[in-house]
Amino acid sequence: MDVTREIEDTARELGERVRPQIEDARRRLSSFNEQAVSYIKENPGQCVLGALALGYIVGKIARR
Amino acid sequence: METGQQRTGKKRTANGRIDDPAAAASKLGDRMSQTAEQTWTRARESVGDLRDAVDLQGRVDRHPYGTVAAALGIGYLLGGGVFTPLTGRLVGLAVRIGLRLAVLPVVRDELAGLAESLTGAADGGVEVGGGSAGSGESKK
Repeated sequence: MDVTREIEDTARELGERVRPQIEDARRRLSSFNEQAVSYIKENPGQCVLGALALGYIVGKIARR
Repeated sequence: METGQQRTGKKRTANGRIDDPAAAASKLGDRMSQTAEQTWTRARESVGDLRDAVDLQGRVDRHPYGTVAAALGIGYLLGGGVFTPLTGRLVGLAVRIGLRLAVLPVVRDELAGLAESLTGAADGGVEVGGGSAGSGESKK
């Protein structure tokens, strides 16, 4: 069962090596999400109008 | 010889009223100003009513991403992108993802149930698939 143990050790090592990066990415995503939500809440008209315009442009491009 | 009407700039109209161009212009200006003010007030009221009806701030506070996505969708509709290949592809993708999300829990539950029954059978030594699960024999 040495092979099994080796695979387990490798997986554990890999997990330990990757975990901080995943945590960092999760933290960054969470921060980005908070920033985006607060920006939308602070500028609702601008965001809605911008989204409307963007959708219109995408619709026009898709129609071609 | 200069008449009184020429001196003052006033003319007597056919019905006998004195016509003063400056006063008429002033009156017209006043009326226009009043009308513009009324129009502005009404427009502001209408915008306020519309804002209350839409409740944009409240909606954005409750569902920030949803509101932006809805605006994006409305813009897409207005841009005429409804009956296009891109829409077809997007709808197809959404349906596929939705089906997978709907089917996945069912399949997972079924598999979990199967695994439980298998492990229970293995612990209890009950025969599964025609052979003993603990004996190492497999179904052939």
